[in-house]
Amino acid sequence: MKHIKLMLLLFVGGLVASCSSDYLELTPDSGITVDAYFNDAGEVETGIIGIYDAIQGQNSTDPDDNHAIMYEYYITEMRSDNTRTKSQEGEAAQFEFYNVEATNGIVKDYYASFYNVIYRANIVLANLDVVTDETTKMAFEAEAKFLRAYAYFNLVRLFGDLPLIDRVISPLETEIQFTRVATAQIYELIVSDLTTAVAGLDNTYKTRASKAAAQTLLAKVYLTKEDKDYTQAQLLLEDVMTSGYSLLPNFNDVFYTEENAEIIFAIGYNTTSDDSQNFSAEWMNGVGRTSGVNYVTADAVAALDAFGGDRTQYSYRIDPSQTTQNQVTKYLPNGENGGADGKTFTLDATLAGNDWIVLRYADVLLLHTEAIMAGATETSNVNAVNSFNQVRNRAGLADDSDGIVTKDELLIERRVELAFENHRFFDLVRLGRAEAVFSAFSAANGLGYSSSDLLLPIPQREINLSDGIMKQNPGY
Amino acid sequence: MNKIDIIKMQLSAVFMALTLFATTSCDSFEYDLPEANSKEDTTPPSASFSASVTEDYLTYTFGNTSSSATDYMWDYGDGNTSTGIDGENTFPGEGTFTVTLTAADKLGVTSTYSMEIEVVEPEIPAAITPEIINGDMDSGSPRDGWGWTTFTDGTTYPFGSTSDGSTLLIDGTDSGAKTGGAKFTKGTSGGIYRSSSSRYGGQAIVVSANRDYVLEYEYAIKNDDGLNTGAKIVVEILDGHFEDGKEAVDNAPRIITNEGTKLEGKGNFTKVTQNFTANATGNIMILFWGETQQDAYLDNVKVYPVE
Repeated sequence: MKHIKLMLLLFVGGLVASCSSDYLELTPDSGITVDAYFNDAGEVETGIIGIYDAIQGQNSTDPDDNHAIMYEYYITEMRSDNTRTKSQEGEAAQFEFYNVEATNGIVKDYYASFYNVIYRANIVLANLDVVTDETTKMAFEAEAKFLRAYAYFNLVRLFGDLPLIDRVISPLETEIQFTRVATAQIYELIVSDLTTAVAGLDNTYKTRASKAAAQTLLAKVYLTKEDKDYTQAQLLLEDVMTSGYSLLPNFNDVFYTEENAEIIFAIGYNTTSDDSQNFSAEWMNGVGRTSGVNYVTADAVAALDAFGGDRTQYSYRIDPSQTTQNQVTKYLPNGENGGADGKTFTLDATLAGNDWIVLRYADVLLLHTEAIMAGATETSNVNAVNSFNQVRNRAGLADDSDGIVTKDELLIERRVELAFENHRFFDLVRLGRAEAVFSAFSAANGLGYSSSDLLLPIPQREINLSDGIMKQNPGY
Repeated sequence: MNKIDIIKMQLSAVFMALTLFATTSCDSFEYDLPEANSKEDTTPPSASFSASVTEDYLTYTFGNTSSSATDYMWDYGDGNTSTGIDGENTFPGEGTFTVTLTAADKLGVTSTYSMEIEVVEPEIPAAITPEIINGDMDSGSPRDGWGWTTFTDGTTYPFGSTSDGSTLLIDGTDSGAKTGGAKFTKGTSGGIYRSSSSRYGGQAIVVSANRDYVLEYEYAIKNDDGLNTGAKIVVEILDGHFEDGKEAVDNAPRIITNEGTKLEGKGNFTKVTQNFTANATGNIMILFWGETQQDAYLDNVKVYPVE
């Protein structure tokens, strides 16, 4: 009887509720919701800053947080012949041994992080209508699309076919969430987003999207996707080459002078706990959460010693605390070298403020050579050779000796110029040399490489949540 | 029956049931052991692979994308075989080969997948030889090939026609007599003599992107009484196509600028060649003009690939 009364009460309550929905659907004034937040251009811009926040990742040791780009070296450099863990064990070592499992937490972290970037970009794109000024609106659209394309480009190169989320979706739309569409279709969205970005951006910022950043990224996309477009890539890069960027005379300054003339796009960090990064500390000996990761392989040391020129001394060092090991020195925490043992820092190394460089001018020059080479094995084109030589000359090296740049020479130059900047893996795949290089590297070091390792596994969590919709990559 | 008997009976019933159960389960262990192939293979292997050519057009690598398999057998169709997870093969020469991958699991279930590989030596495509209209300047109308659609603050006429051109034909053979050519006077000169009647010749052509080309032309400049010092014929290659003459002359980016400055007199033609590298699109333009006080002549303007 008691229960019946209660149910009656609830029923009546329900009736009241449906009669006056306005009254019950109040905007909460003590909290912020997406529906109520975006009212003007200023608020949309904070939404855009929020996208960068997602790329920065959270500086924490909690495996449930998204660490985003702070963890990128694990799945790029450490999965190439450039770096490895110091201890060569644990979850992080799965990458260097080419035995990554679908349950790997770092893979899940990166996947979730960059879908979060896409989600935040989609929220901005869904709320552009409150921006009244057309020029501002176009610029915001361009910026959000640049960031969405950047996230998709990273994901599609790492995971292959992906769920295509180009708008804000609801939790019930599981079909869209878990249906993997072909990479060609993902690239269509990337090209379209970046084309919008090139048209709507200017070159005001270096730690936010710019026209040159969109052009460089689009050129790289044209050089990467299956039906390559070398001409478009070359034209975009030549435009960037007349946009006021230049190589710094001293290679080391590139990494320790923030927003310098060589930087086209970087993810900004500072030393506050909210906006700092921890990868600089992780690369040191027992300074961060790990005992040391992204340590330099003997293979990379040999390449830098042979072909690096002035760059070698600024790229790696012998670990002062463990002299059989080699550390990356491009991103020393806050520029401090760590003293005699290499791990004693004045500022908190785990709250490092070094910006992460995504695109810089040396990359543009070498991509220019690659675009003119256009899939051939070499080029003697003067413009291609000239761009190539600019990068060499800055490193204190003479011009290419025979005036013919081969694909292998280009790969070596990219390796030593852009070492530990998360390019190597993608470069080898893009130029069709991953199979040969990783097979040989794996055989020489007793690792378990096979061609299915060129794609990461879709995180097992996604497969499980998808209720059978989502299929795993081969080999996992 | 008293109470105790009932309990006894119940107990013995339970005991019997237990015994019966134990016996039954013994039987099942004894007679229902799984043998090979007694269970259906619910995850049979499925063979598949991708092929990619390496630097050497004869060598291919094969990426294994099979699922639920443990052992692999590669047959490359040229007599070579291998058993690794991924395959690699250097074919003996050009031809079509059927590569077959047989994937097996430990139950002996197999799956095969074949792909035809066409091994062809890649050819470097020949560079385009652009067709230049009225390159010999023999046409009655100088506008053929070289005139402008529009020329802001200037004339769309490219040059004055003359019969005092080079004796050479466009193919390089000597005709033994003067041919038609282009003439510039002080009144039609550009450069430091620029006016609304300056004449500039321009022609948009398409060449192969990023390839090396030769610009060739012949010119002659009068120098009567040694009074034409500093005169020149200028021929340039522009980066792009331009509709309006003023845009081309004043704003277009240059790939090369070549100046003919020898003052050898009327009828004494000098042949000039200069190499240049085409741009990303292959869309380029030839632009020429004179900067002279006395008559200057131009003939046989050509662009052809470096061989």
